Amino acid sequence: MTSQMIFLVFFGGAAVWFGVTVFRTHSMVRSALALLFSQTAVGLMFLVMQAEFLGVLQIMMMATEMSVMAIFMVMFMMDPGGMGAMDMTHQKRLSLWAGGVGLGAAMAVIWLADWGPPGGNLPETAEQTAELGRELLGRSMFIFQSVGLTILTAMVSATMVAIAPAKEQPK
Amino acid sequence: MIFELMIALTVGAVMFGTGLYGALSQTNLVMIIMGVELILAAALVNLVAFWRYLHPGEPAAQMFVLVVMAVMAVEMAVGFGIAIARFRSRGSVEMEEASELKG
Amino acid sequence: MLALTLLGPLLAALAILSLRRAPETLALIGAALGFVAALGLFVAASDGVTVGIALPFLPDFPIRLIASPLTATLSLLVATVAAMVLIYATGYMRKDPERARFYGTMLLFVTAMQALVLSGDWITLLAAWEMIGFASYLLIGFWHGRAGVVGAATRAFLYTRTADLGLYTGAFVLIGVAGTSEISVTNATTGTPALIAGLLLLIAAMGKSAQVPLQDWLMRAMAGPTPVSALLHSATLVAAGAILLIRTAPMLPGGALLAIGIVGGITAVVTGLIALAERDLKRLLAASTASQYGLMLVAIGAGAPVAALLHLIAHAAIKSSLFLGAGVFQHDREGTGLDTLAGAGRARPGVFAGFAITALALVGLPPMAAFFSKDAIIAAALGSTAAPWLLPLALAGSVLTGAYMGRALNVLWAGEVGPPQKPVPFMTFGMGVLVALAAGLGFGFGALEHMLGAEIEKPGWIVPAMGLAVGLSGLALGWFIAPARLLGPLLAPARNGFAVAGGMDGLILRPVLSIASACEAFEKRLLAAQIGLIRGFGLGTAHLVDRADGALFAFSLWIGQQSLRLGRATGFTDTNGIDAAIFGLVRRMVAAGAQARRLQSGFIHRELALTAIGTALIMAMLLIAPYYF
Repeated sequence: MTSQMIFLVFFGGAAVWFGVTVFRTHSMVRSALALLFSQTAVGLMFLVMQAEFLGVLQIMMMATEMSVMAIFMVMFMMDPGGMGAMDMTHQKRLSLWAGGVGLGAAMAVIWLADWGPPGGNLPETAEQTAELGRELLGRSMFIFQSVGLTILTAMVSATMVAIAPAKEQPK
Repeated sequence: MIFELMIALTVGAVMFGTGLYGALSQTNLVMIIMGVELILAAALVNLVAFWRYLHPGEPAAQMFVLVVMAVMAVEMAVGFGIAIARFRSRGSVEMEEASELKG
Repeated sequence: MLALTLLGPLLAALAILSLRRAPETLALIGAALGFVAALGLFVAASDGVTVGIALPFLPDFPIRLIASPLTATLSLLVATVAAMVLIYATGYMRKDPERARFYGTMLLFVTAMQALVLSGDWITLLAAWEMIGFASYLLIGFWHGRAGVVGAATRAFLYTRTADLGLYTGAFVLIGVAGTSEISVTNATTGTPALIAGLLLLIAAMGKSAQVPLQDWLMRAMAGPTPVSALLHSATLVAAGAILLIRTAPMLPGGALLAIGIVGGITAVVTGLIALAERDLKRLLAASTASQYGLMLVAIGAGAPVAALLHLIAHAAIKSSLFLGAGVFQHDREGTGLDTLAGAGRARPGVFAGFAITALALVGLPPMAAFFSKDAIIAAALGSTAAPWLLPLALAGSVLTGAYMGRALNVLWAGEVGPPQKPVPFMTFGMGVLVALAAGLGFGFGALEHMLGAEIEKPGWIVPAMGLAVGLSGLALGWFIAPARLLGPLLAPARNGFAVAGGMDGLILRPVLSIASACEAFEKRLLAAQIGLIRGFGLGTAHLVDRADGALFAFSLWIGQQSLRLGRATGFTDTNGIDAAIFGLVRRMVAAGAQARRLQSGFIHRELALTAIGTALIMAMLLIAPYYF
């Protein structure tokens, strides 16, 4: 049992626990915060796995993303505080089955597959980031650029969708 | 057997299951987006674990993580765009009420 | 001194936003501090002292603020206009319940603009550039409750943001080539990088200075309060583009200069036509702003950035006082449509006199400020290597300047004189100072050129004569001839702001939207095909069965007839049994079709569940497949 395993179990457990909390609480703000903590725990797992750049990136991105989500929650929910304890779910049995089957299948693959020998040595953190930069601006340049363009398109179209006047308003 | 890899993959699998359950069971569009975010986070954990324990010298794996993160951001942006549009036209983002796609 | 220029307005803004009382006093104190500091910088710079500070930031890239003669002049300009506009605003915004927010944002904007003007490196400039974009979004959207205001603010923001990509890429090209972010060092860039960076910076400047084809947002930005328009259009937001090009002018190679000059010239003419066709005084002034910045770009393109700077200064004083005058008339008549304002000038002779003086100054009548600067621009265009391109465009722009100002004056003077109006001391004071500056600044230009170390040689009689002739002829055209006759077939497109060339709408939004609608149509067709397939299959089967049934029925009838002969009872049961079986089959087929149709429930969660199940099936098949083949 190495310290890496202990931390992985700890943060992994936190990620899962908060992930489950997202759908167990009635308060929408709480579930947004739970998702924030879950994603942060995922970021900490990255840090444990010595992917420092990705870990920090994940935590920073998710912090902003989830705060935005919390604002939207408060805007759109009938009952953001969860005071009314309304049931906000449907087709629960089917969903439980789907989630369970997905989990079972993934577990079976994970524990039955032969993952091969461990890989070589881990590069230094600075070296990792430099390598990633070279990858992004070298071999994967095209993918990287397409992703950027996709984000731009998504931003423009999301703004358009959001500010388009609502014509067929039912009175 | 690499136990760290197993732990990380198991965490990923559980998060995937939870996310799938959430995306299917929630009535609210924003909550559905949350479920999808969980599924994508599970994918992220798996990718980083594969990179760390199977191919640590391969920066392309990290690049893949960046792409998934971009997908998360795009999904949020478009999802919220649709949510705002629905909220403005219907006053609610409950998906039980959405039946324009009915065949 | 340098820090006070920024900190004065910034601290006042913070104080206003946190205290939320006495916003006018605090705002005026902040603006006064900023003005005094900027004046000190200017005096120091005119003695040849260059003040600069470098704050630690990224390694090797500190934040630099520099008060060179050029930046100190611009800083003083910003501080002066800001102070006068704020004095005016105390009158204009007197009754607005959200005054604290207004003054806070205004001061934030002024701070950002000072940072932009005084920035000594690209990173500070980028940060300040972002801040003015954001602050202008807040200011244009200040009355966010009114119809169309939020759309205008979003539009302005998106337009300028899109063009900002040029600034980012250009700045990074320069930093990458020079290895440092200091603007004075990157100005030594030469060759292809300089050309690329110059063109990219031109895109950024086109966005901020509302040059064709990105001019549309400026007219819509008139939705904001009038002091905001006065500040944005004279010395700040719109000026940022021209300032950027003036500061990088030493670096720009011939190709970039030609592009800048032509973009500027086309803008001067096109937006001049738009201004002539406008039916709203504020929008007319806005279009005129874009046109004047077009003239400045012509000067930069002709290789005379000092001429552009002089025109920038003259235009700042002129345009802010024109806007302030328009704001007074707007207050009187509750609107800015030219029909509404007819005769508003005669009801307030004092304000109208100020408006007229500055309008004539803009047209370029001696001895007012723009006379000297416009002559400098025409002389530069005449002397440049691209004179055949630039000179006609510059002259046409000047004629149009005269024409639309003449029209505005005519409308304000002719028409019904309403009841006499109450005096507005604060507004008149703020405007009066700016009018005095607009009229008198021209005499300081010689000293200023000396201070900047770039004296423009005085042209012969031909240039002033040309400038005066085009200005006066334009003025006469605008005063005596209605724009409908003057523009002829150009009127309708000009009124629509030449929407064909309508910037972002055409370039990005429409393709995106058309792709989206194509996808939607495809999706619909797919759904229809799917439903049609299932239903068609069901119905087709049912039909077949039906026909078979008919045949069988006839056959069974025949059997029945046969069996009738054998025995009535047996025959009857026979028919009945076969019949029931066949009709049952038909009914079941139809029911199967209906069942398949119910899969298309239209509920997102159902379809999500189906997607999940489908994905699981595909994955299972992929996993199993290797064992079979």
